[in-house]
Amino acid sequence: MKQQPSRRDVLAYGAAASVAATLGPACYAQAADFFAGKTIDVIVPFAAGGAADVTTRFVAPFLTKHIPGNPNFNITNLGGGGSILGANQFEKQGKGDGLTILSTTSSSAFPYILKQKGVEYDLSSKRVAYAIAIGPVVYASPATGIQSVADLKKPKTGLVYGGIGATASDLPVLLAFELLGLDVKTVLGFQGRGPIRLAFERGETNFDFQFTSVYLTQVKPQVEAKKAVPLFTGGSSAANGKFTERDPVVKELPSTYEVFKTLNDNKEPSGAVWGAYEMASALTFEYGVTGWMPAGTPQAALDAFSVAAAKINADPDFIAKGEKVTGGYKLQDGKAIKKNVKAALTSNPEVVQYLTKFLTEKYNVKL
Amino acid sequence: MWEAAGAALIQLFDPFRILMLFTGMLAGGIIGMLPGLGGIGALSILLPFALKLDPFSGLALLLGATGIVYTSDTISAILFGTPTSASSGPTAIEGFAMARRGEAGRALGGAFLASMIGGLIGAVVLTLSIPIAGPLVLALGSAELLMLALVGLAYASGLVGGSPAKGLLSAALGLFLGTVGVAPSAPELRYTFGFPYLLDGFALTIVALGLFGVAEIIVMLGQGGAIAQERFKLSGWMDGVRDVVRNWRVVSMGSIIGVIFGIIPAVGATASTWIAYGQATSTAKDKSMVGKGDPRGMLAAEGANNATITTDLVPTLLFAVPGGPAAAVFLGALFVYGYFPGPRFVAQNLDLMFLIVWSSALAAIIGAAMCFAASPWIARLTRIDFGLVAAPLIAVILLGSFEAKKTVIDFVTLLGFGVIGWLMKRAQWPRAPFLVGFVLTDPIERNFWLAYQLHGWSWLKFPIVLGLIVVVAIHIFVTARRALHARKAREAAAAAAGSAPTAAVAIPNFAFNPGIALSLAALAVFGGGIWLALGYAPDSRLVPLLAAIPGLGATLLVLFHYLRAQRPEPGWPPLAEIRQIILLAACIAAIPFTGFIPALGIYLVVLLWISTRLRFWSLPYATAVTAAAWGLSRAFNIPLP
Repeated sequence: MKQQPSRRDVLAYGAAASVAATLGPACYAQAADFFAGKTIDVIVPFAAGGAADVTTRFVAPFLTKHIPGNPNFNITNLGGGGSILGANQFEKQGKGDGLTILSTTSSSAFPYILKQKGVEYDLSSKRVAYAIAIGPVVYASPATGIQSVADLKKPKTGLVYGGIGATASDLPVLLAFELLGLDVKTVLGFQGRGPIRLAFERGETNFDFQFTSVYLTQVKPQVEAKKAVPLFTGGSSAANGKFTERDPVVKELPSTYEVFKTLNDNKEPSGAVWGAYEMASALTFEYGVTGWMPAGTPQAALDAFSVAAAKINADPDFIAKGEKVTGGYKLQDGKAIKKNVKAALTSNPEVVQYLTKFLTEKYNVKL
Repeated sequence: MWEAAGAALIQLFDPFRILMLFTGMLAGGIIGMLPGLGGIGALSILLPFALKLDPFSGLALLLGATGIVYTSDTISAILFGTPTSASSGPTAIEGFAMARRGEAGRALGGAFLASMIGGLIGAVVLTLSIPIAGPLVLALGSAELLMLALVGLAYASGLVGGSPAKGLLSAALGLFLGTVGVAPSAPELRYTFGFPYLLDGFALTIVALGLFGVAEIIVMLGQGGAIAQERFKLSGWMDGVRDVVRNWRVVSMGSIIGVIFGIIPAVGATASTWIAYGQATSTAKDKSMVGKGDPRGMLAAEGANNATITTDLVPTLLFAVPGGPAAAVFLGALFVYGYFPGPRFVAQNLDLMFLIVWSSALAAIIGAAMCFAASPWIARLTRIDFGLVAAPLIAVILLGSFEAKKTVIDFVTLLGFGVIGWLMKRAQWPRAPFLVGFVLTDPIERNFWLAYQLHGWSWLKFPIVLGLIVVVAIHIFVTARRALHARKAREAAAAAAGSAPTAAVAIPNFAFNPGIALSLAALAVFGGGIWLALGYAPDSRLVPLLAAIPGLGATLLVLFHYLRAQRPEPGWPPLAEIRQIILLAACIAAIPFTGFIPALGIYLVVLLWISTRLRFWSLPYATAVTAAAWGLSRAFNIPLP
């Protein structure tokens, strides 16, 4: 479907790519009017201290600095019900005035896709302001005998994986195990990825993943001490939306897609399990923390975020600090990724059906 | 290492950083006196400000606040009987009873000193932990954590007063209600009845505020008058210091328990406080004063919570695994400053490590002094009409409970636990085992299933597990023997007096009392709970059944006692107290229609009118309190309905 881009789109794109110095100021003036002197309410539907909270609080001052008009951000933690309560609250409160954002993770997206009881929010009608990736790195203990991805299917000892829950951020990794046909014993019920990492260090588990920032700071020293073998990442999406690219930060490791090809004579992954993996990975990892705005949000507000995204990614302060907080992922412009995000949210019925079957039959989840 | 310690001290004594430390302490001191916020509340409120400062100043601000929160909450607990966080519950029980006896000064003096010692022991352990904590944290796996929680539960069962059946019933009820929500080990919802509100169970702050805060306020409003019949004697604070000296073992043991639970990841100050309280009271030789103003339990608890909040930083700094909820926020701050805690972090940032130690130690010492200086002023409030104090107290309790999930249902839940706590107080059921059971449900259930999935039953043979099993066995043996002795002594005394202990009741005059009401409610909860649990998957029904089946047995026993004794409760029904409950219920029912602030305003006017002698002055006073509540909600960013 070909569509003539609107004048505004062209303007914002120009500014976002920060190429058109002449077009930039025009857009700036328009958006500056919008947010000047205003306060944006951000709902983080988790208790303070989690990934969504830390990431949002890290990004907010940069948004204030770079969004035309310099709006303040007022962040409220509305934890409860695994983010469902806060997201419901956002659905009720959020007006289309560009002054409310829901900054959340796949914990809000999965219940929506799986149509869980108690979900009162309609994510696919929302507009995407920004997203930041939280990529995973899968690694194993040398005790398993695994030296590289080629050994994944013939470990010396049984693989034991520690996780939080099948519908939590473990989901895409569990789907990857299924896709790759790995024989892994999963022990679910840990309180967080931190305790899981300690269980790995204790030798209670021998197969684990950690998010990139933690991998770089906590697991890498273990790798250097020959106590962990890094294997693969979740990957990221290519321009066509397929999840075939490497992780933009951990480029030295292959993606799940490549591992599948290595293990299957260069065959392309396909079918519902691959579809489910792509969907789950996009929502959990690539768009790890996403800022959603209500359906009627004016375009000018979203344009202002686009303007800011480009500037923030060029801000040396953001680059220096971001390496430490988020692992160095860029702030993604909502306009550039909205298609992929929506595609993941509205996966085809076959994929949803497969996912439901996978969760209910293999992990006894009651949906 | 010592050079780094000195350098850190010099860096801390930069005037601006010291100012930040004091600012944090001032803010933390106030936040600690307000219900529902606690350490995590203090840190989340200060975090945005801290992140604008340089790392050393920002961390001083945050540590100043966490170092004092669990000291200043003592003031509310002792003077008003309101535990502002679940971990000041023991102090609200014992310290408040002491205050009402006229020993407020003794209670405050002892509690502050114990807090200070706990904080200092925590800071010392944090320093010493630098070389040794790594292996220690790694030694404690799920099986060991499970056993530590069971040790806690065993000591909690020692909290029972006169009737072991009531204590068991109370603990079982807490343990059972702790299972509401998503099962930690199985993707199954338990007892949520389709309400998203119940997905992650009842909030600890609401349970604690309801059981203790609301219940006490209802009773005191019903009775009228002031908290203290006589002026609170703050002069006796030296007696408090003597209590600490005399009970130095209790304070040290409490602090050590606090340290252990601080080092264990993801267990906050609440569990450690109650376990320290249970340990101190159950090992005390003379239990006659337990729950009625025994300083020992309070001293252990105060030592424990301050030790925990400091040593929570051990796993946080060594492994980037938060030691408790407040430490999770602290960890987030470190990330934003660009520090990655971890084994190398300590070696590479010794100066920062020592800045943290010094800040914690200073906050512990100066915090206790600050609280001490403030208490005479706050103590004056206990002499005036209680209604005058109750009005702002209820306003902040409502605001504090709303911090939990920020929906109107928070108020309903608060009222529900308030009524349960009020009935329990009226029926003289111990409330402490309830809270301990409630706090320990998650660690017990989670770690049991993790240990079982990882090791089958072989975890029972782990050395640390075996050691802890011995500890539990000895504790149960000693407690049982002591109970048996006490019973024999009672029987001997009765026989010596030559009277039949209970004469046969000639006329069964059925008397409805709070104990019977509670027993019937517990019967329904346990019965229904067992019935529903039978439909759950095996890995999500085990713990609910382990709580509900003994609970049901204990309930039947208690009910049998009530029906046999048929004693009408003196002063039952207490109409003045029931009127207060109805009034609070009406206020909560009005909130969805009128909004929080108007409902609160009207409620306070009525409350002041009927409970104080203000008469027409009720209106301006209620308006002022409501305006202050509104200001507080703005300052702490609470999105009121």
